[in-house]
Amino acid sequence: MQPTVSTAPLDPGQIAFMQGGISISVGACGRDGMPQLVRAIGCKVAEGGASVTVFVPESRSQAVQRDVFANGAIAVVFTQPSTHRTMQLKSREGRVTALTPGDLALVDAYREAFLAELLPMGFTEPMVRAFLACPPGELVGLTFRPTAAFTQTPGPNAGKPLEAGA
Amino acid sequence: MSPRVRLDTIRECFEGVIPAVLATSDRDGMPNVSYLTQVQYVDREHVALSYQFFNKTRANILANPQVKMIVVSPQTAAQYQLTMQFQRTETSGALFESMRAKLAGIASHVGMCGVFQLLGSDVFRVTDVALLPGERLPAPAGERNLLAALRVCSERLQGCRDLDRLFDETLRCLDEKFGIDHAMLLMLDAPGASLYTVASHGYTDSGIGSEIAMGEGVIGVAARMRTPIRIGHMTTEYGYGRAIRAQLEDSARAGELAEQIPLPGLPGSRSQLAVPISAGERTLGVLYVESDQDLRFTYDDEDALVALAAQFGLAMTVLQGAAPEPAAVAAPAQLPVTAGEPLVIRHFSATDSVFFGDDYLIKGVAGRVLWSLVQDYVQRGRSAFTNRELRLDPRIRLPDVNDNLEARLVLLARRLAERNCPVRIEKTGRGTFRLAVQRPLALVAVG
Repeated sequence: MQPTVSTAPLDPGQIAFMQGGISISVGACGRDGMPQLVRAIGCKVAEGGASVTVFVPESRSQAVQRDVFANGAIAVVFTQPSTHRTMQLKSREGRVTALTPGDLALVDAYREAFLAELLPMGFTEPMVRAFLACPPGELVGLTFRPTAAFTQTPGPNAGKPLEAGA
Repeated sequence: MSPRVRLDTIRECFEGVIPAVLATSDRDGMPNVSYLTQVQYVDREHVALSYQFFNKTRANILANPQVKMIVVSPQTAAQYQLTMQFQRTETSGALFESMRAKLAGIASHVGMCGVFQLLGSDVFRVTDVALLPGERLPAPAGERNLLAALRVCSERLQGCRDLDRLFDETLRCLDEKFGIDHAMLLMLDAPGASLYTVASHGYTDSGIGSEIAMGEGVIGVAARMRTPIRIGHMTTEYGYGRAIRAQLEDSARAGELAEQIPLPGLPGSRSQLAVPISAGERTLGVLYVESDQDLRFTYDDEDALVALAAQFGLAMTVLQGAAPEPAAVAAPAQLPVTAGEPLVIRHFSATDSVFFGDDYLIKGVAGRVLWSLVQDYVQRGRSAFTNRELRLDPRIRLPDVNDNLEARLVLLARRLAERNCPVRIEKTGRGTFRLAVQRPLALVAVG
């Protein structure tokens, strides 16, 4: 059983982490048990952590969108390359959503933050920009209310339910 | 439909520059996503992932073997999605050992030494590889064409008429054609207890004659497991020298320290590749290269060096089995006149260690060979020898038919030359040589 998170699932530090310059990947699962996967380009946290939206390129996320639409199951992992700090959120109430005004600014801010994270690690700017490229009109949102949260930072606590301040 | 891609054309994605992402799902259809420390290319249809912890990913693949993985080319930013099926976990053997060594390098690089430990190699069959739509950078021009380099080196190795030349030419080729400026050749000391250095390139001290135990470090593991071992980041776990010294210092064998020739090596080695050299089923030795750059050696470098090592193994077998040149099997030459203070040569029978004066020179089979040669020189006035008679000499007690005698003679000749000894081994023809002595010798057998 997934641990159920009641009120205020995420603390402000965790919310800031999710919206920072980190790597984000999204998983879904089809009726046939086949998992699906897409890398996201930015994240929006609303309602004090009760609502999370990740932005994904339309063309790369067809299968993920199809499965999230069909059954709502979604898993999103956030990891900071320089520290390996990692957390994962899950929900059975995922939805495919259109971008709202202000979302593109978040995506742009995400690109700059991720660039700032990766440049000191030796990646080049053209490389990171190509990696994060997506025409604005081709982004879609995947929105969910997290019902479970785990820490996945490598080590003895990996896989344990996320605690406040972790 | 996304374009289909062959797994062996995207191996740069598995070098660990950009972590791969894996999606699994449990029986209830809940997905799980994880970032991977290590993806190993196995063959055109298989990859292996490191199993380090029993976590959700592990539980999921045991329950539902279907997974998806996204890898990214560090050169072009292209993303590839792999559809895969979990097949089995290997907890020993060549794949496991090569992944364990590589993981040790990764762990040191990312400060996870105590955390990353390989429990198993999870092998997946790749059923589909798709290039995902998106922006890509043009692939950078390669620094060198490894196939062209391999061809030239292959031809140059074929042209070698003796082992001495083969050793030097191989290391020269690596430098000139592959841009590898730190390399060593080590031969197996049958029956497989250790490897000894016969040639090196790019080090302050040649380290000729230095030994490494089977199973120790990348070289020892490559020889024991008969598989290439490639590490892209510095790790002390697979380092040499210090471990051996520490072992000896702590043990009753501390006296043997004086008989340790230090293994050459880069103190700040960041990339290492050890490739076994074999002839048929038999391991002959190891070709070892290293660099002070991270991720210097790629899957393609590994392929090229494995091919070169195969050619080297064949050439070595042919050259060792070559019949002596008829004209060279001459009658023993007369003892040349030498003058001066006698050089005391001591032989310790327990280890077959030979000392010139107080200086340790060599031990083991090479030590026995040298001791027999100088005995024949002093007692019987002989200075001309053939490899064949050494092979039959009961004093030398060669391990078996595949004795590597020629390699040991090369080692011995190089060690004598390097130490500037007044005793030298000089080749006089194929399978024949001369003991050149510049001072009177006084032999002392100890023990």
